Parts: sequence; C-alpha cells; structure tokens
Amino acid sequence: MNMVRLDKQKFSNFILELSAEYTVFAPGKVGGKTEFVPIRSEDEIDFKTLVTDMSPKGIFFPSSEVLYEYDKQGIRVPEKEIGKPIAVWGMRGCDSRSLLMLNKVFGSAIQMPEDEKFQDPYWKEKYDSSLIFGSACNTPLSTCFCNWFGGGPHSREGMDVFVVDAGDSFLMEPVTGKGSNFLRELTCFADSTEKDEAVAKKLASDAESSMAAPMEVTDLGERLNDLFEEAVWEEISAKCINCGACTFSCPTCHCYDIQDEGKGSRGKRIRVWDSCMFPIFTMEASGHNPRALSSQRVRQRVMHKYSYFPEKYGEFLCTGCGRCVTACPVNLDIREVLKTINAYNKQGITNG
Amino acid sequence: MGNYCIPQQMKVERIGTEDPTRTLRTYDLSFVNDSDREAFKYLPGQFCELSIPGKGESPFGIASSPTEEGFLRFTVNRTGSVTNEIHYLRNGDTIGMRGPLGNWYPVDDLKGMNVLIVGGGFAFTTLRSLLIYLMDAREDYRDITVIYGARNPDLFIYKDEIALWKQRDDIRMHLTIDKPVDGWNEKTGFVPTVVEEVAPDPENTMAIVCGPPVMIKYTLPVLTKLGFSDERIYTSLERRMKCGIGKCGRCNIGSKYICIDGPVFSMAELKNIPETV
Repeated sequence: MNMVRLDKQKFSNFILELSAEYTVFAPGKVGGKTEFVPIRSEDEIDFKTLVTDMSPKGIFFPSSEVLYEYDKQGIRVPEKEIGKPIAVWGMRGCDSRSLLMLNKVFGSAIQMPEDEKFQDPYWKEKYDSSLIFGSACNTPLSTCFCNWFGGGPHSREGMDVFVVDAGDSFLMEPVTGKGSNFLRELTCFADSTEKDEAVAKKLASDAESSMAAPMEVTDLGERLNDLFEEAVWEEISAKCINCGACTFSCPTCHCYDIQDEGKGSRGKRIRVWDSCMFPIFTMEASGHNPRALSSQRVRQRVMHKYSYFPEKYGEFLCTGCGRCVTACPVNLDIREVLKTINAYNKQGITNG
Repeated sequence: MGNYCIPQQMKVERIGTEDPTRTLRTYDLSFVNDSDREAFKYLPGQFCELSIPGKGESPFGIASSPTEEGFLRFTVNRTGSVTNEIHYLRNGDTIGMRGPLGNWYPVDDLKGMNVLIVGGGFAFTTLRSLLIYLMDAREDYRDITVIYGARNPDLFIYKDEIALWKQRDDIRMHLTIDKPVDGWNEKTGFVPTVVEEVAPDPENTMAIVCGPPVMIKYTLPVLTKLGFSDERIYTSLERRMKCGIGKCGRCNIGSKYICIDGPVFSMAELKNIPETV
C-alpha cells in the first residue's frame, strides 16, 4: 500500500473513526507540561510541540501501575481498565524507536525466548495490540540527536503508520501490515499524488540537513569499558545533583521499584518508575551500597545505555530525543558527556 | 500467559532459631497448592522472593536441597521491614513466594571432582543446599572440604547439622571465627587466611564461594594464588533485587543481571564484569 493523503479538514473524522476502535493518546498539555494524554477530539491535541516534556513510554509502562490487589481472601490482578486497544497519534521517530527497545526488555523475553515467565504481561497487554501513528519531524530541535544512533527526523522504525505534516494535509505511509490494514478500512483518505511524495521527500531531506553532524559512536561501548576506572567520571558527575529528571523523562529508562500501598490486610502492590540516580536504588538492608557515590551512579546510567544494553541487546539504549538535555536542572548534556568520553584517553588528557 | 508478579502461597511448617539474639531464623515452608509444588524444580544456588502483602518482597537463597522432599528452607536475617514481618510469622501462617529464580551452582561439573566449599556468616544458606545435595549422591564426588567462617561462634547457622558434618569422615570441616573466644577449639582468623592454610590441592578441585562481599573479595585472589583456574572458581553474588527476572534494573552489573545471569558466576565471567565485589 502506498502513501495516502488526509486533508486536515477531514482530520476530525479520522480521529472519530480511530476512536471507535481504539483509545487514542496524543500530545496534550497537562498543567503547563506536555505529555501523551488520552484524547477524544482534535481540539485536545497539541500539534505544535515536537518533543513532549514527558516521553510516551508511560502509555505502556505507566509511572505507577497496580500489579495486583490483595486482601484476606487473596490476590486479584485488576481488570483491564481500558476495554479498547491503544492507538497513539503524533509519536516522533525517537519515541517509536524507544518502544522497540523497551519491548526487548518487557516483551520479547530475549533472555529465554522459550520461557513465557520472562515476559511482562502488563506491558504486552497494552503494547502488542497498539497502533502507532508516527510523526515526522520537519524542524528538529537543537537538542535533537537521533542521527547519532541510527535514527533520523523521518525515521519510521517502531511505527505502524508514518505521518508527514505537509501543511494542509497529513501524508500517511503504512509501515507495518497492521498499519496498512487500518488505513485500508478508512474512507476519509485520498490517494497521494506524485507532488505529495515529492513534498514528503523534500521535507525529509531539509530536516536531515538541518541537524548537526553526529558524533562517531561505533566504538563507544569499548571506550566506556576501557574508561570504567578512570577519574573522568568524577569530572563528568561533579555537577549532577542526582535528581533523576533524566531517567524520568527518558523514553528508554525502564528501571522500576515494586511497592506495597495499603492498610492492614488490604492493599495494592504497585510498580513505580525508579532511578539509578538515587542512592537508595542499590542500598541493601545491611547498609552496604555498591553504588554509594554520585560518580558511580552517573557512570552506571551512561554505561547501561551505551555499553551494557548494546552488549546484551545489540543496540544503544538511547534514541537521541534530547529530553534529558532539556530536563537537566544543572545543564549536564549527555552529548557533551559522550564527547568527553570519545576524546578522553587514559593519560587523563582530553584530546580535541 | 503467566504472570511472574503473582506469588505462590506457602505455609510455615517449622521455625528454627539460629542465634541467641534470635536475629537469624530458619523457616521450612510447604506449598499450599499441589500444582505449585509439582511445578517447582530447583537446584542448589537458586533463590526465591518471599513476599509479605503490605511490606514487600525480598530475595533469599534456598537453603534446602532438591533432594530433601516436602519443604523449602530459608534462613532470614531480621534487618528490614520484610524480614521483620517474616520474623512475626508463626507455624501455620502463610507467606507468598516467587521462584525459583536465577541460576545454580555447577553441580554437573562437580561430578568426579574434589569440592571446596567456602562460606561466611549467614550466607551459608545456598551452600547448605549444595552440601546436602552432594552428600545425597556422595559417591559422585571426590573429597569435600568445607571452610566456614563467622564473626563469633553464635553466628554460625545450622549448628546442629555442623556438629553432624564434623563427625563424618567424608567431609573435611574447618570452622573459623574472627577473634579468639574462650572455649573455642576450632580455627581463629579470617576466611581467606584459613583458605590459604587448609585448601586442598587445586588439581581436580572446584571451589564454590559464598559470603559477605568483603569475604569474597579477599578469598578469590587467595584461590587464584593457590593455583585454582578461573573456570574452577565459582561464587554467588548478591545485590538488592526486586523483579527477579532481569527487568527492574537494580541488580545490574556490567551487561549482566544478578537475578537472571547469576547469582552464580565463575571467576572467568567475573573478570569481564566491573564493580562485582
């Protein structure tokens, strides 16, 4: 199936048709911040924001999620709150790629592919049935660096339908069979013209050329392993206040805690996002803490994303969305960290 | 599909007290549901998450051996909110349990070998599992040497069994405490020193080490110095854990998760992992 064209006047029809089958999430405003929220009509969608403050990971991996409820009678997994599967409108390429990475952790049981017990039912229930409408970035931000890690402003990875905003219309291109099946059943589309396709191509090349040249990351993992014991980590982490804003805004950070909330014999076991930036994350009951120092924790986050995850799962755990760059209250820019690592040699001299 | 978050229900069958301050207690649990019991297959070195509604979960090494039927044994040091709550349990109470989790000691590779077991403090749990497992097929293994250290005589766990093991002529038991006390007739000194003194010839010998981080840290180099190759030294590591299946992230060291890639690692593996001990 080729690219189709949706005139923006018909967009509200499209949202209605989509809502009939799916619970639709799209970028919206919540208390002055932007994040993905459930929407029912076009008016609720924020079309302007390129990178939302919070990543869309929370749609499938909520910041707080009930695993089960308990009382004297026993344990019950709560009924699915949303009857319909989830569709997401307006997901940028960095974010749709992040879902593929998270799916390696939660969904595909890569450690033991045959063993279902290593799959996460809460994630799979939401993600496996979802329909992702991606959104091409025509004007990447100065904080965007998706092109460092194999992404790009018009990347299609992780999307079911790739969408380009072409001014008075949305041009949609199915990426997966699921995406193409959905588009086929809709009536509000027109076939795209050669002109549409030329417009999409031009927007892609303009967006790509507007981005700064990527840093070379091929041997980043090896460099990091070599520099594990070096003093450079103290230098890098000196201004970090371990607030965790980077991990909470990150679309790929997936560490979580499991907590009980309740009174007496009745309550809920919930999982909540956690952060390797917090000393208590690894604090053991004995008082022993293997990552007691801030420099060890900053190193852990960087190593996990650019060395450990690639070793285990074959790709960097970073999509270059730039949220951590924007969210950091002390302007600790991950791109600068990686450049420092790239330029560092063991004599402690920073090259170039 | 299955849901790894849901604990199985276990019943407390027997509670033992390991030390005079009653900080260390041993719990024998049985399965409430037959189907859970039948599905539960484990080997020495694996662990479970014990679960108390309203308090949470904590990981504990399985102290019983799969060759001992009818119960699962855990020794619990009262030190935080979950362990505190476990200490309030009485016979007949129920407790949640998830597992078995993690990998196990290389029991198949131990066949036909001499085995050196080195343990410290209340980390002797999975080593007890291993020792019982080996004793229950004694003819499959050659010499078995146990070096077990504790800060003081009170802090050895399984004292009754230790007394029995000491009487046997097919286990060489060496007990040691940190500092001399009156009435102590065994060895005195830290575990690494005793290992250097009494460890068997590394020829055809596998060493299995489990204890507090500081003991592991100083024992591994001694074994290397004695001539044990990296493939013949195994240790069990511990970190704070939650999910137990390699997702929640907190037991991550290097590209490994202790909960699924470990807790048992060979020295050869450890060499490629940073900040292990």
